[in-house]
Amino acid sequence: MNSTIIRMTARAMLGGRRIYLLAALSVLLLVLAVLLRLFADLSPDDTAQFLHGVSLSTLLPLFGLIVGTGAIGPEIDDGSIVYILAKPISRAEIVRSKLLVAVTAAIAFAAAPTFLAGAIMAGTSANVALGFGVGALVAGVTYSALFLLLAIATRHAVIVGLVYALAWESLVGSFVPGARTLSIQQWALSVTEAITGPGVISSDVSLGAALVLLVLVVGGTTWYAGERLRVLTLAGDD
Amino acid sequence: MSPQPEAAPSGVIHDIGYRGYDGPRLGRNLVARALFFHSLRGVFGIGRSARSKVMPMGLFAVIWLPALVIAVITVVTASQGLLNDVPVQFARYPMLLQPAVAIFLGTQAPQAVSLDLRYNTLPLYLSRPLERVDYVTAKYAALATGVFILLAIPILTMYIGALLAELPAGEQTGDVVLALIGAALFSLVLAGIGLLIASLTARRGFGVAAIITVLVMSYSVVSGLQGIIGHGQSDLATAGWLGLLSPMTLVDGVQTWALGAESSAVAGPPGDLAGLVFCLVTATVVVGSYLCLMYRYRKVTV
Amino acid sequence: MSHVPVIATEDLTKRYPGITALDRLSVEIEPGVVGLVGANGAGKSTLIKILLGLSEATSGRASVLGLDTVSHGPQIRGQVGYMPEHDCLPADVSATEFVVHMARMSGLPADAARERTADILRHVGLYEERYRPIGGYSTGMKQRVKLAQALVHDPQLVMLDEPTNGLDPVGRDEMLALIRRIHTDFGIAVLVTSHLLGELERICDHVVVIDAGVLLRSSATADFTRASEQLAVEVTAGTEAVARALTAAGLTVSAAGQILVVEITGEDTYDVVRDTVADLGHGLLRLEPRRHRIAEVFEGGAADVSAA
Repeated sequence: MNSTIIRMTARAMLGGRRIYLLAALSVLLLVLAVLLRLFADLSPDDTAQFLHGVSLSTLLPLFGLIVGTGAIGPEIDDGSIVYILAKPISRAEIVRSKLLVAVTAAIAFAAAPTFLAGAIMAGTSANVALGFGVGALVAGVTYSALFLLLAIATRHAVIVGLVYALAWESLVGSFVPGARTLSIQQWALSVTEAITGPGVISSDVSLGAALVLLVLVVGGTTWYAGERLRVLTLAGDD
Repeated sequence: MSPQPEAAPSGVIHDIGYRGYDGPRLGRNLVARALFFHSLRGVFGIGRSARSKVMPMGLFAVIWLPALVIAVITVVTASQGLLNDVPVQFARYPMLLQPAVAIFLGTQAPQAVSLDLRYNTLPLYLSRPLERVDYVTAKYAALATGVFILLAIPILTMYIGALLAELPAGEQTGDVVLALIGAALFSLVLAGIGLLIASLTARRGFGVAAIITVLVMSYSVVSGLQGIIGHGQSDLATAGWLGLLSPMTLVDGVQTWALGAESSAVAGPPGDLAGLVFCLVTATVVVGSYLCLMYRYRKVTV
Repeated sequence: MSHVPVIATEDLTKRYPGITALDRLSVEIEPGVVGLVGANGAGKSTLIKILLGLSEATSGRASVLGLDTVSHGPQIRGQVGYMPEHDCLPADVSATEFVVHMARMSGLPADAARERTADILRHVGLYEERYRPIGGYSTGMKQRVKLAQALVHDPQLVMLDEPTNGLDPVGRDEMLALIRRIHTDFGIAVLVTSHLLGELERICDHVVVIDAGVLLRSSATADFTRASEQLAVEVTAGTEAVARALTAAGLTVSAAGQILVVEITGEDTYDVVRDTVADLGHGLLRLEPRRHRIAEVFEGGAADVSAA
């Protein structure tokens, strides 16, 4: 890990407008949790449904998208990635450093708030908060790695990532049962299920399979991202 | 790259020379209209590189296909006497496909305006007879029209299916007209919000993410809340009011109350007062987006 | 055509918080190729933006082609072309597409826009590459596209802001020649800005010099650079002795560093100088009529810059 790159990436990602969007979403989640707790009678099931729908299905993919592409996208866009690539730092190290920043942001702005929201809404019953917190963490890491790779591999990473996160995972996943095995959401849900215990939420993927796939995807995308960075062609033109 | 050969001192002159232009020069309105059509083509990627066609055309196909399937199903099942109405209400279609519609807006709203900001092309537009208000109006109208086309064609496809299935024509026609009005409302609201967000950033990627986040998150949150409050608490009234907070449920609420459509949200506006408020808020969002866009472009440094 | 100035300003002022970009600028610009010279930040781009209505003046008036900029903005913009200094071209469209679109934005009907685009691209020398996306163009080609979109609607006046920016010496020469042709062949009045004094001398009929928003000078190029009735004389050694000898021979001599400036009294002045120096046994390095340079305006108080 290269501390300079970490610092630079952190500054770029968290400076400016991006951080407002990220913070706003976390705050939104927490405010909702508080309001629901105050004005509604929540069962652990309600909490689980809410966190599943809002946090795991929507918030996490979008967050992973924003921070994963935000970690390297702007630098590629305006060409300043050249300065980093010209230094004697291995491509893999660059990827790891940027991934660290992205993951930290995803944890801070998505996973932790999810855990907090769960705790606010359901207390400690059925380990819902812990389950979804860990599930969100796992999802955050995986989505960040995936979108970081996409940002390097294609110039339209954001769009490709969106189609995956929203269309594939929700639409296709709902209609084609087999496709659910390939959904990051389901893997995260599987981890959550393992922690909350059965009955609260159910995933279509077994824990063992989920863990294996998660490790494979994170490791694979990180490695491949390094490879793609090696052959990155900067277009001053489209 | 050699300049046009000058007239040779002797012999044949090949140089066309410079020709002045004496023809008509169109005024602001026609120029704005030209910009409108140009932008509308851009919304669907027509006239641009193949790469810019992929997303909009792909999404158009994704949004149209289910309607086609529904139309076919309608014809087939009606011919077997199993149906006396369409399987899916026309007016519910936009809500069903709303993730895809959100992605479409997320990619095409920045395409319409972020490029001009990023490449600093705006001074070239504004040093021409076009005024800022013309620019904003043309862009807004183009995006709204694009989204309307995106929604209207599937709706009309299902309508044609219904007619071919010999379902009662009067009823179906009434339904389709109301659905098209609803689609127009969706277009105006979504285009306004999308364009406003897109105009705030020159960085296209961020604009895409921001628009989709806002549209999808708001719907997800509102649905989640409505689920808990509406079903868990059995408080459909509050759940209905919550519909004001997301663009999709907002317009759906107007459709439900004013146009008599079936609600696609967990709960529709409870009562007439709520219905009026929904309509008012919708109008405010449309007008407000337009005014904010005008303000934004007045402030942009040229 | 030479009665109505193409551009006229009266006490034009533009103030930003902390900076006065234009300070009571009053100038009249005749048709022709007019150069607007000033250092970076002197107010050249600000002036152009006010003339186009892209920016509003704090006070004062301006008119373009006889029309007031505030009340007749759209009419002015229909008759004027603008080539900005900064990058302004989208990367993903071709030159042809872009210029056609700009032509339509200027009010040309679709067919006329296409025809004139093809013509104009040929005139600026961009014919073979016109279907490639602009993103792949070199700086020189991009400048030509910018120029093309300024000319495509056959304006009466075209305002070019630093058109030679970023060009190599060959590209610069070609661009300057092109600019000259815009007036001589196309019959369009031109306002060119530059912070490079030397190049404007070559193509402009008239030069306006501004510095820190204030008009320093506005006159014909010939006035700036006319040969004065003076000789510049430089010798290998004994400059003072030569000066004394020439004075003794009846010539008026003054010194400017190592160079002696001798007033020309007649055709024989050259011979007198040559003989004097030879008699003293020194070498003659330089014997040439002295020309002024626009740069002298900035030195302010250079003794031999005088109004026509």
